[in-house]
Parts: sequence; structure tokens; C-alpha cells
Amino acid sequence: MFYSIRHITRFSYSSPVSESAMEVRMQPRSEANQKCIRFDLATQPRSKIQGYRDHIGNIVHHFSIPGRHQQLKINAEATVEVTPALALPQALPTQAWHDLESLCASDEYWDYLVPSRYAHSSELLDVFKKEWNIERRDDPLTLLHEISALIYEEFDYAPQTTSVDSTIDHALEERRGVCQDFAHVMIALGRDLGIPCRYVSGYLYHGGARDRSAADATHAWAEAYLPDFGWIGFDPTNNIMTGERHIRTAVGRDYADVPPTKGIFKGKANTELSVGVQVSPTEAPPPGEEMIQMHTWISEPAQIEDDLQQQQQQQQQQ
Amino acid sequence: MEQQISSITELSKSQAPSFANYELDAAYDEMFEHDGTARAQYRPLFNRLQELAPSELKQRQQTADIAFLNQGITFTVYGNNEGTERIFPYDLLPRIITAEEWTKLEKGLAQRITALNLFLKDIYHEGRILNDGVVPRDLVYSCKHYRREMRGIRIRRDIYVSVVGTDLVRLNDGEFAILEDNLRVPSGVSYMLANRQVMKRVFPGMFSSYNVQPIDHYGQALLSTLRALAPPNRPDPTIVLLTPGVFNSAYYEHTFLARQMGIELVEGRDLIVHDNIVYMRTTGGLRRVDVIYRRVDDDFIDPLTFRPGSILGAPGLFNAYRAGNVALANAPGTGVADDKALYAFVPAIIKYYLDEDPILPNVETYLLSDDKQRRHVLANLDKLVVKAVGESGGYGMLIGPHSTAQEREVFKQLIESDPRNYIAQPTLALSRAPCFIDGRVEARHVDLRPYILYGENITIVPGGLTRVALRRGSLVVNSSQGGGSKDTWVLS
Repeated sequence: MFYSIRHITRFSYSSPVSESAMEVRMQPRSEANQKCIRFDLATQPRSKIQGYRDHIGNIVHHFSIPGRHQQLKINAEATVEVTPALALPQALPTQAWHDLESLCASDEYWDYLVPSRYAHSSELLDVFKKEWNIERRDDPLTLLHEISALIYEEFDYAPQTTSVDSTIDHALEERRGVCQDFAHVMIALGRDLGIPCRYVSGYLYHGGARDRSAADATHAWAEAYLPDFGWIGFDPTNNIMTGERHIRTAVGRDYADVPPTKGIFKGKANTELSVGVQVSPTEAPPPGEEMIQMHTWISEPAQIEDDLQQQQQQQQQQ
Repeated sequence: MEQQISSITELSKSQAPSFANYELDAAYDEMFEHDGTARAQYRPLFNRLQELAPSELKQRQQTADIAFLNQGITFTVYGNNEGTERIFPYDLLPRIITAEEWTKLEKGLAQRITALNLFLKDIYHEGRILNDGVVPRDLVYSCKHYRREMRGIRIRRDIYVSVVGTDLVRLNDGEFAILEDNLRVPSGVSYMLANRQVMKRVFPGMFSSYNVQPIDHYGQALLSTLRALAPPNRPDPTIVLLTPGVFNSAYYEHTFLARQMGIELVEGRDLIVHDNIVYMRTTGGLRRVDVIYRRVDDDFIDPLTFRPGSILGAPGLFNAYRAGNVALANAPGTGVADDKALYAFVPAIIKYYLDEDPILPNVETYLLSDDKQRRHVLANLDKLVVKAVGESGGYGMLIGPHSTAQEREVFKQLIESDPRNYIAQPTLALSRAPCFIDGRVEARHVDLRPYILYGENITIVPGGLTRVALRRGSLVVNSSQGGGSKDTWVLS
């Protein structure tokens, strides 16, 4: 399948700001069953876009806009080819647990086995584990399928109930959330079982499928590392394995490693963030912006720790 | 031992009233042999001191104190409500290191820094030492100073640590051992330089009668080191010193060093990064910056890459650094190599990269993440020193023999809840040196922090900062914990 992706991000500020500096993680990865054929990124006001590959292999673009501006628009367009993922057996032999042990002993997947900022153990997670008897049994693949289904059944999909920096406890407490929360819960459970797990941000092509996640938005899911098969994607939001409809942009320990945009500016202003995404098969011409439905969030000014004196003192003296 | 104590007392009573109550104990004494006679290198000093009446010593101490006050040489003690700005206590009597002792120190320090720098390069690239199992991977990856952002970044000359302050102690047998590496933002070098200035003023005759190796070129050596890190296409680089600002305890030092080197002292708000180039705002417009000697912690240097709320750094600085358009001294992420648990592996690190035995030994260290070692330590808390691995400045420490049962209980719980975060060492008898205290000479524990510069090559100005635990019997020399310092003479 070939996809054309358009991802528009607009920051509107309640009063003019300056010296914006921003990093963007939106370029689809080229690996395994996916290949990014074309990627364009432009900003308004215009800027010189630079890029680098981070230590996890994600392509990061960044730019700075020194002058005063009251709106910042980022327009990303990509063409991606995705082929079907490798077929997996129904289940793995129980021996797979043993293979995982030796894999983990080598430390190569260390970062994906220990708790991270958003995917960590907690009392509520323990309660959830007990409630559903989540412990090593059968084989890793079967158990991961079960966990994905469990999250799908037990959590309501409810946009706007959690925010980008919500912890899993928030979702566990209320038993609802969005794809990001479900991915974090699944990662935390997987790591707890000794399975290397990581976070993937990307897009899902709906194309008429009855997916629970919102269409025309960014998406997130979890990947688990299984011996002999490598990284395998689970989408607990929709209780499906990732396949030809999932387009991966960035991977990391959790959301903190891969936010689509991350920036800072000078000035005191409220920010209104609007995001529009359209994923379509390339047979159709790439749609214009007017066809994209924008989703909007409003946030208070970023929390700046403006206690200068305290920060100056916090420097460790050696 | 009793007899030795009396012998120095006898000797002193007759000739030098100031030494009347000077005592020797099991700790190595910098000035006196066990039998109470002055060591050869100290003999002229000892003789001169005997000629001086205590009142005259007192007068010179006052002259010195006034000199420090006038220069504004102060530091700040956090967590102390009354007058947090203090004069750094200066002790009148120099500490003397022989040329032979220094040669060994110099070799040992250069060896250690070379190996630690190779280690940093390795763990941020191939990680050979981790793959070979010489250093446990989880020790590195779980360190809060390990910066994943540094992985795969090539930096100028592969130099991660350009400015180092290594803490040494002299043990009972007279041999120096490494106590701690400071590879992030070591401070105190301005006191080393100021102590020498004051010494020349207070004891001009005695100073010139000794052949003391000069240290005054430190500023120029630091400048050359920083210059060596500049991007290769910037032949006439602009170098700045980035300070957290006036509320930082070492602000005096930042202003002092910037002045010594003739470079701009800047704060984060003076810098702006545009299109991967760092500029400083000047009255004449923006000026490109090529090298930053930063005295700001990793976490704070760039809110875009590290701590989002920081206002002490410059957004985008790290991307400019990654692109090779600006140099940072020291590199971000060097703190993983001065983690106190990693310290235990430094001898193995030296062996691994250089195939040499360490010239300067480590102090025995217990890793509390190891069950067996932890059990031993918890059973012997009253005899050991416990340190938090990522702390510095003498904070987060338990000195067993001087602790209360309650303090030990607190540390027991701290250790059990997060064993990776603590190490333990035997309580060391740091060597003692004569200090002029309240009108007479008394022995106090001292350590030694030489400053190592690593640019085109390794430079160590002869000497360093001798820190003194001014409270009688105390083993803590950190300025933040009531320590002082004295001039350190390396003879040629």
C-alpha cells in the first residue's frame, strides 16, 4: 500500500511571542515493512529546517523563528509504502519465555525493560494485574494478545479525558483514556513480565474499518520484542496487531521520547494548538487543507520555572 | 604513639610556642615524621615559624583575611539562613609537595583522565566495555547523569572532559589515593589561585626562599584548552563562560576566570541559537559563539533537549552542539563517569583501555546494589562512610564513626529503598597538616584537588587546592560543609 499523509499543526498565541525553537518528530521511519518515499516539512513563518537522526533512529527536524509571531504553522507531507507485516504463528512454544530470559540477560534491550517516565509500575497497575491475573503463563505472544484484548475491553476510549502528560494511574483509575494511555499501560505490563516493550507514535489508516481510535489524528501503540520475530506491534486501542494500516513515525521508551512537536518560545501567551491529519491511499490526489478537519486544544502558558534564584542555586557544585 | 606525641611537644615547647599543643596521631602528618622531626621539605618553613611569635602569625592571618575580603572572594552556603555569603577560610601555612611526589601524581592523574575520557567516548558509541562485561551495563544506563542524547555524537577531538578536579587523599602510609573524580563542573580553582596571591603577600620572603613551581598560568592554560575545542573552521574562536548567575555559590569564581582569560561572562538569556548557530547578544549586535565553558549543569543548558522549564540555558544549544557548530566544556553526560558507584570500576577501566595498572590507587568501595556487600555495610554502618552516588559537595553523606544511631537508621532505610544510589567506603584517616587556628598551630585533616586540563594535550598546573576540615577531628573538607583551604606548594 502507498499512503499520502498530511499532518498540519498550528500554534496560535494569545499575544505575540518570539524566539521559538522547535523539534518535530513526524518523518515516517524506513525499516522493516515500511519505507518513507517522500517527506516535506514547511513552517509559517518560514524557517530553515534542519534535521538529525536521534539515538533511537528517529528523524528529528528542528527550526528556530527569532522574530515576533502570533501563529506558527507546521505542514508535514509524506508518501509512504507499507507492505504487510510478517505473518506470526498463533502462539509460540512456552520455551519462548526461556529465550526471552537469555535475551534480557544480554542487556541489549535494557532501556525497554525498565520503567520509564510514563510506562512504570504503580500500585494501581499491581491492582490491575491481580484483578486479571496477569503473570507469566502460556507463551509471551498469547499473553500479549490477551493483554491487548483486556485493555480494549476494560478501558473506554474517551478523548480529552487525559492529557499528553497524564500518567498511567490516571487512565487506570478511571478506566478510560486514549491511544497514548493504552500504549503506556500495555508497555508497563509487558515490561513487568520481562518482555522488552517500546512506544510507537504514528498514524492509522482507517479506510472504513471500524476502529475505535479517532480517524484523522496521530496514533500510538506498543511494540514488544519477541525472540526470532523482532519487534511486534500491538494496538490495544483497537485490539489489533499492527499491519499494513499502521504507519510508524517514531519509537521510544514512551511518549516522552517521541512527542510529534516539542518547543519553547519567549513571551507570556496562552497557546491554542490545532492539529489536522489526513492519511489516504495515494491513488487519490493529496487533499488540500480545507478538507482536513482540525482538532483544537487550548493550553495555559508552558510552566516555566521562573524562580531564577532557585535554579541558579540548584546547580551542583563539584 | 604516646611517646611520639610527647616528643614533638617537648621539641615545640622549647623553640616554637605556636606548636605547643601540636599532636601527632595515626594519620600521616604532612609536616612531621612519626618521631616528631620536621620532614626535609618542611624544615626551612618550620624553622622560620619558630622565629615568629604567635602575635606575628596572627597579624599575618589578619592581613590575609583582609586581602580575601577586599577581593570579594566568597562562596555561598545553601540551607543556612544566617548570612549565606561567606569568606572562604584561608589557612596561613602552606602545604608542601615534593617534586618526586608530584611527578607520580601528575602521571597518575593523566592516566586516569585519559582512561575516563576513552570510557565516555566508548559508552556513547560502540559500548565495547559494556559488551565485554567489564562495566555492568545497568550501572551506566541507570545513572541519572547518563545522557542518551549524547549517543552517537562525534565531538571535537573526542574530548569529553576538558576541565577536571580530582580529589586525592593521603593515607597512613603516606601514599596518595583517589577519593573522587569530578568530571562535570568542578569548582574551586579560583581559590587555588587566590591562595597563592595572598601567600606571596603574607610570606614573601619564605615563599621566594622555596623553589615553588608557578601556577599563575592556569587561566592561559584553560584558555588554550578551550581554544583547542573550537570547531576546526573557526580559527579565531569566540569563547564565553556561561554562568547560572549571581545567586550561584561559585559566581565569584566565574567572574574571576572570565576576567583571567579575557572572555565574556554570559548568562543563558545572553545567548540565542538560530539555525544551529549560537550567538551572544552584545551592544554591537549578535556575535557568533564557538566555545562555551559552561558552569551550568547538563539538565539546565537547553530547555529544548533537557529540562523544559530551565531558564539558565539557551533553547537549541544542544542541536548546535550536535551539529558541531559550538563546543561545550565539559561535554554533556560526563557525570556518568564520576558516579560514585562507577568509581569502583575505574581501575578496571584503566586496565581495559590502556592496558596499564593504575598509578594512583582507588579507595576500597562497597557497591550497595550487591546483596553480599550491602549486608556487610548495613552491619557495619558505624564504621563506614556512606555516600549518595550522584551527589557532590559533601551532601548526602553519612560518616559512620561520627554518626548517631538515628542518622544510621535513616541511612539504612535510604540504602534499602534504593541501593543503587549509595556506596560505602572505609572511614579514611586523611592526612593531617598544621593549621594556624585561634593563635596556635593545630593539626587538621586535609585533602588535595589538582585541576587537570585536557585540550590538545593534558596540562596539570603543579599543585591544586588543599582543602582543610577546619573543625577539630572533622573529615569533611567541602567548603559547603565548613571547610577551608591553604596554599599548595609543589617544589621543583
